[in-house]
Amino acid sequence: MDVVQKKKIGLTVVILAIALIVPLFVTKPYYLHVITMCLLWAFLASSWNIFCGFAGQLSLGHGIFTAIGAYVTVILFNEFGISPWIGMFAGGAAAVILSTIIGYPTFKLRGAYYALATVAIVSGAVVLLENTMSIGPLHVGGAEGLIVKLMGNAPAHFQFMSKVPYYYIALTMVVIIVVFSFWLKNSRLGFYLSALKEDEDAAAALGINVRNAKLTAAAYSAFFTAIGGVFYAMLIRYLEPLAICGPLMSNEMVFLAVVGGSGTVLGPVIGGISLHAVSEIIQFYFSDLAQGFHLFVYGLIVVFVIMFKPLGIIEVVQKYYNRFLGTSDQKEDESSGRHSSGS
Amino acid sequence: MDFLSALVNGISMGAIYGLIALGLTLIFGIMKIINFAHGALLMLSMMIAYWIWKFSGINPYILILIVSPLMFGFGYLSERFFIKPVLDRQKDVREPIAVLLLTAALAMVFENLALMIFGADYVMAKTTVTDATIVLGGVTLSAARFYALILALVISSAFFLFLQYTELGRKLRACGQDRNTALLMGINVPQTYAIAFGIGTALLAVAAIVLLPFYYVHPTVGNVFMTKAFIVVVLGGLGSVPGALLGGIIIGLIESIGAQYMTATLTTAIVYLVFLLVLFIKPSGLFGSKFEW
Repeated sequence: MDVVQKKKIGLTVVILAIALIVPLFVTKPYYLHVITMCLLWAFLASSWNIFCGFAGQLSLGHGIFTAIGAYVTVILFNEFGISPWIGMFAGGAAAVILSTIIGYPTFKLRGAYYALATVAIVSGAVVLLENTMSIGPLHVGGAEGLIVKLMGNAPAHFQFMSKVPYYYIALTMVVIIVVFSFWLKNSRLGFYLSALKEDEDAAAALGINVRNAKLTAAAYSAFFTAIGGVFYAMLIRYLEPLAICGPLMSNEMVFLAVVGGSGTVLGPVIGGISLHAVSEIIQFYFSDLAQGFHLFVYGLIVVFVIMFKPLGIIEVVQKYYNRFLGTSDQKEDESSGRHSSGS
Repeated sequence: MDFLSALVNGISMGAIYGLIALGLTLIFGIMKIINFAHGALLMLSMMIAYWIWKFSGINPYILILIVSPLMFGFGYLSERFFIKPVLDRQKDVREPIAVLLLTAALAMVFENLALMIFGADYVMAKTTVTDATIVLGGVTLSAARFYALILALVISSAFFLFLQYTELGRKLRACGQDRNTALLMGINVPQTYAIAFGIGTALLAVAAIVLLPFYYVHPTVGNVFMTKAFIVVVLGGLGSVPGALLGGIIIGLIESIGAQYMTATLTTAIVYLVFLLVLFIKPSGLFGSKFEW
């Protein structure tokens, strides 16, 4: 047991150490940007997973939370000069309020009906955003999009000339979400969620307040998703309704989480990093081949993972991880969550 | 456009929405799957029809006889190869969510396949029908929309009769009511599922062809119609055939009449709002059974 414990700690330290020195070896800004985006997607997939994976709800409309987080933060910054470091909490709070407002009527819907409702809500949000040029004196930008006011190299305003700080911020975000997911999964709420994932009626019969459990988990999920949206806005420095809120944003979170392994702590991180990396690599090398080729392959990967590895890539990783630890393959404990982070 | 022509246009566009929703409602009613690849399959049908028309010059309406069987085969095989394995695994799950995600991923594959093969250009089958108009009781209507309305009504009615009165129709409905009991009655459920998916896709091909003479085709054209088809289906009641047609016409009317009095944005927002209200107040829709959801 002692050896196993040591190995776990050792592996965590090695992975974190490698993650920390990545910018020393990857000096080309483009590559670092791609790696940062991989981390961001890992973060977003994990944020989605907190509610949808743990509680088994299929939300195809999480783009609305990235959008509200990003828009609130950027508008506060552009109009009032409030630093995004502070504004992101306002964005997160707005997302929590929105998730509660959406949650009350939608959480009584089950399965496919819930998924459809989220699709309708996010589609409506895109239409509204595209057609709102301004709210009172506040500039929203409509379909043209919203440009983040440039400050040069201003760490106090979440703007850096180099890509390196963004990388470290994204890495920190991923570490935080993994630790949070691990804590949540092993908390009372986490057990409630996995109970209602299995059978909502049975969970309610056992005395679990299903609605409150869902609302709380959804609020956490919305908050982190909004923070992801803020990071996206500050990295790209341009908000466009379709990109931040549209089906690509909403669906990609889901695909990445499912390919990695939804409902697990590390699955969405592994899925987010690996699948997004594959997609970027294909796009980089084969974009001349045919338009849409990388998304075609991406879609096929998702299809085949759902068909042949229903529990996600984490299943395979878990096997090698157990072998590395020297524990038996059958022992499906939550050890995957015990060592934090991944890169 | 005065009120009366807005009314007629709304009904004809709504009938097309209904026709698109018909396949969706059939697949849901029988297999309990929300088919997120529906829009992509519509787009594929439009693309295939367009290219056959382009190279052969056959009247698009006659192409229904070619494209529908083709899409039936495509739908049948897609179900067999992709959906069936996942569905089998989730046999005892009430809401097969993995299948839903699978169809969403398939949509991505189909869309980008079309992008790779056909390119991102906007194309339309401009025939003699495109610019022709028909005067109907003082209302001028584009001929293409008029034919679309007629075809949608004929196909929907025929499909309804097929479900009610043929052996295969009864088999399909039996599987929809209870697949295990249907299996016990000696119905080949897996094959019936594949047929249902095939018919749903073939119905889409009809919708694709009536759209072709007046609607531009491009790889993401399906998205517009798919979201509307979802709304229509929930409004009419998931699994209900008359509900799909009626729901389609209601949405078509809201759009065309709404456009007379307010901006298109507001109309779209109202359509979503109606959808959400129906979902919250009466999720079973106008015609759906109460216990389905």
